[in-house]
Amino acid sequence: MTDQSAESIDNNAQPDTGAEQWLIAEARTIRWLVLGVICLAVAIGVLIVFQARLLASACQRVVMQGEGVASILPLAAILVMLATGRCLCTWLMENRSAAAAARVKQAVRSRLYRKIQSLGSAGLAGAEAGPLIETVTKGVDELEPYLTRFLPQLSLAAILPFMFLAVIVPAEWRAGLVLLFSAPCIPLFMILIGRGSEQLHRRQWHRLSRMAGHLMDLVQGLPDLIIFGAAKTEAIAVARVSEEYRSATMAVLRVAFLSAFTLEFFATVGTALVAVIIGFRLLLGGLSLGEGLFVLLMAPEFYLPLRNLGLSYHARMQGVAAAERIAPLLARPLPEGFAGSLLPQAGPPSVVFEGVTFRYGGTRGGVSGLDLELPAGSATALVGESGAGKTTLARLLVGLARPAAGRILINGQDLNLLAPHAWRSQLAWVPQTPYFFSGTVRENLILGRPDATGSEIDVALKTAAADLFIRHLPQGLDTVLGDRGAGLSGGELRRLALARAYLCHATMIVLDEPTAGLDPENEQLVCAALDKLAHGRTVLIISHREQTLSCAGRVAEMIDGRIDRVCSPLDFLTPGEASP
Amino acid sequence: MNHIVRLLNISRRQWMWMTAGIVLGVVVIAANTLLMALSGWFIASMAVSGSSGVAFNYFFPSAGIRFLAIARTVGRYLERLVSHEATFRILAELRVWLFKRFVPLAPACLERFAGGDVAGRLRADVDALETLYLKIVAPLAVGAISIAAALLFLVWFSPPSAAVLLLFLVLAGVGLPLLVRRFSEEPGRHSAALAAELRNKVTEGLQGVEELILLGAVERQAATVDGLSAGLIAEQERLGRINGLLLGGMSILAGSGVAAVLVTGSMQVASHQIPAPDLVMLLLFSAAVFEAAGQLPSALHLLPAARESAARIFELADAPLPVPDTPVPTLAPTGNEICFRHVSAAYLPGTPVLRNISLTVPAGGSVVLTGSSGVGKSLLIEILLRFRAYEGSVTVGGVEIRDLTRETLIDMIAAVPQRPHLFNASIRDNILLGNATAGEEQLRQALRDSGLDSWVAGLPLGLETPVGINGSAVSGGEARRIALARALLKDAPILLLDEPTEGLDSATEREVVSRLKERFGGAAGTTLLVVSHRPACLALGDSVTRLECA
Repeated sequence: MTDQSAESIDNNAQPDTGAEQWLIAEARTIRWLVLGVICLAVAIGVLIVFQARLLASACQRVVMQGEGVASILPLAAILVMLATGRCLCTWLMENRSAAAAARVKQAVRSRLYRKIQSLGSAGLAGAEAGPLIETVTKGVDELEPYLTRFLPQLSLAAILPFMFLAVIVPAEWRAGLVLLFSAPCIPLFMILIGRGSEQLHRRQWHRLSRMAGHLMDLVQGLPDLIIFGAAKTEAIAVARVSEEYRSATMAVLRVAFLSAFTLEFFATVGTALVAVIIGFRLLLGGLSLGEGLFVLLMAPEFYLPLRNLGLSYHARMQGVAAAERIAPLLARPLPEGFAGSLLPQAGPPSVVFEGVTFRYGGTRGGVSGLDLELPAGSATALVGESGAGKTTLARLLVGLARPAAGRILINGQDLNLLAPHAWRSQLAWVPQTPYFFSGTVRENLILGRPDATGSEIDVALKTAAADLFIRHLPQGLDTVLGDRGAGLSGGELRRLALARAYLCHATMIVLDEPTAGLDPENEQLVCAALDKLAHGRTVLIISHREQTLSCAGRVAEMIDGRIDRVCSPLDFLTPGEASP
Repeated sequence: MNHIVRLLNISRRQWMWMTAGIVLGVVVIAANTLLMALSGWFIASMAVSGSSGVAFNYFFPSAGIRFLAIARTVGRYLERLVSHEATFRILAELRVWLFKRFVPLAPACLERFAGGDVAGRLRADVDALETLYLKIVAPLAVGAISIAAALLFLVWFSPPSAAVLLLFLVLAGVGLPLLVRRFSEEPGRHSAALAAELRNKVTEGLQGVEELILLGAVERQAATVDGLSAGLIAEQERLGRINGLLLGGMSILAGSGVAAVLVTGSMQVASHQIPAPDLVMLLLFSAAVFEAAGQLPSALHLLPAARESAARIFELADAPLPVPDTPVPTLAPTGNEICFRHVSAAYLPGTPVLRNISLTVPAGGSVVLTGSSGVGKSLLIEILLRFRAYEGSVTVGGVEIRDLTRETLIDMIAAVPQRPHLFNASIRDNILLGNATAGEEQLRQALRDSGLDSWVAGLPLGLETPVGINGSAVSGGEARRIALARALLKDAPILLLDEPTEGLDSATEREVVSRLKERFGGAAGTTLLVVSHRPACLALGDSVTRLECA
């Protein structure tokens, strides 16, 4: 029932029907809870009828029949009881609504977050983090009004007015007629006005996300803004963006409130008309005050469900706008080849790239038709100009990206056929800018090995030449790392990432510029650590640094997405590559 | 409560909008209650007139009903528009105020808060305060004023009914809200804190997803997020239940209040203190007044969460400045010599990184600073930028930088910091940040000297290529060279370079170094301080200084 009526309102807004259908499908999981809410609301409606009837007949007795307080007291007592009943029903209704919303929100957020994570860098390359974060946190919360306000109100708008009309018509059919004919105008105007505000509202979400991203970008880049004296002009930009947001939102609201205005207008005029009709019927003596007052009291109640629906129309747009962000993400297919099930052989793997091609959106160099062999247990350095595709190659190897053409063989097995988890458990990777999570140094270290013992951590730190500076931190391993690992220098963070990689018992290690940002002494330390690490493992090191190259057994040079040559470090460094 | 007052004070320029919203709110409620009262009185009088045959002038009441109906409808529309207008204006003021407060705090005071959280807090909390005027301040003011006015109106007709109604209104408008507030204080606080934590974890989980995937920690982190989400939703559900309590309480108080007025009113009618039709008016008026009181509890209900958001915003904004700005600018620097004398400094209090360092870069000279990582080379640069507190003396052009305003100092300095930030805009915009008024020729020169020219020329969109969020669409070396071009474009008398060639291959590095030497060699007059441990960069300095561990 709810689906059908939702569509009748929705038939003008094609772009979001998919999103709304998704939302309604999600609501099916809580249909019994929503049904309970509707039943309770109908019960409240019945109580309202009795309250009005009672109040009207009390007035009839006092005003027209001149009865005293004694005959009124029991009626007043029943009124209080009816109010108590309404109180109970209302409380239960809110309870059920909250429970229903909670169930959907938890399920959707959990699925959505995992989906975005597994789409990860591969599926969402280039997508801004800001709007995604916004969708997972606030976006999911914004489904609630749709589920708890709009859906029940939609059914109630179809049930309650008819129920009330059924008790009004026997009392005064002329008033009933006024109500019946004024009511259809309300949804009609709502649809007309809703159509315009729908589109505006959709743009609104887009603007909100952009504003979020803009502010985040500015706050993260504050030091740079200060250095270039641009903080003042950017403060003006914040004002401008907020101002744009304000005027855009107000444009939406001016229209959105217009539908509420229409509703109020019809409801108020209808009620006033009913009052006048009743007044004249009373003057002519065709109606008792009790009956007339009852109809007058019921007239606003007749419009109330429609007005509530009008108010919740905004809740619907909010919910649909959120669903439009969520549903496509959930429906997005996971990149192919992530579902292999073969287990890689134990021991250091041999890796063969066969004609591997991968391209980003086009602005950045990928790799094309690349061939490379990494024998088991070898240590290979990958060199080449910035943008030659070195990082892309590493990302392909660790499975963060999948080749568009060609294949990568691990011990002769296609990487696409391997179980991702099994392959990753054999891998350790230190990216160019390792990410650290807010938390202690220890928590960051044991991310991949929560069961690592204290002595294992000590060994890892020593191997990565990170033990000394950790010891100098005020709380040692329990020091909290702040924003992007602040408090530690770039080189120190790199060594921490090395220690983190060392803790995983990997047989394949991929390092992207492990010694960039390190002074010669530290580079030497790390190289020594790499030597130890490389023993019995297959290692790929991306580096420009000569000293780092010399600790690799072989050097592969990349030019424009291809391997140009593979040679020994000595051969690579000798021709005119005199270090200063 | 102080926080709320302070927030309103920040946006005091919008007081006209705020007041207009409240006045319109009162008008709407007055129109609505009077409409109900008048209708009730009208039909009761018509009934009495009909049965008794006494003539009744129905012209004025029915005209009044029409007028009030229109006043209510139009008033409601205007009230909504005005109060939302006020809300967004307040929000804009708040955002700008906050951003300006953040500027002197960056980066030292902001890094204590996790990355996603600073921006997240800023946005989520500022948004939470969206409700402050619209759903808290305005309803409280409108509710209080309307109830007081309604009671005054009622006293005129029926003092006993006014007394009874006062009792129920106080219970509904003050007693019930206080009760509900006590219940919702804790979940309100929890949900705001959990929402911030959830946002933080989600931000980390998405930004660091590759690490999590490869460390096999995705599922564990997702479970943490699930846990936080469940906690947040449980608190939200609790708030929903408390809201049910509130709504239920309102309906029982309204029902009983009307019943009580029925009793007092009929007593007065029986003793002929009021005409019989007035009873109907009293009843309908009372019922309508409860609708007005209905917005009080929900406003108070939201108060704790808003206060929590406000408190967190001020906690961030009130962090003490790392380097207090000087109240009176003293001397203007003469020349551009940089001189560190016996300088000590630290990133975190209690762990000194620099101890008693002295270093001079003569005006127009260049020094390359080397030393092992973590020895505090970057810290020296940050001290010069007034980002960090220090002990000892640091002078630029003979003036202590503590005694210079940030503006004066920054005007003299261009820099490539340790981790330059690229804004989500085109390459051109990112470079023009250095000097918005730079001409095409200057831009070309900066591109050439930072070794970007051939790369940019090869891009299909050229300078208009977007760099992505945090420079995600360009490589690390490209990002650093864009930051270098930006600093070169500023053309300041002092240039600070922190590892300008990191992430570059040796060929590009040699090219950039030779271009920089060409640019700053000879009598260019620029004072150059370079932090690097790359051998190629040593060529940039007239002298090389090695910084030893503290």
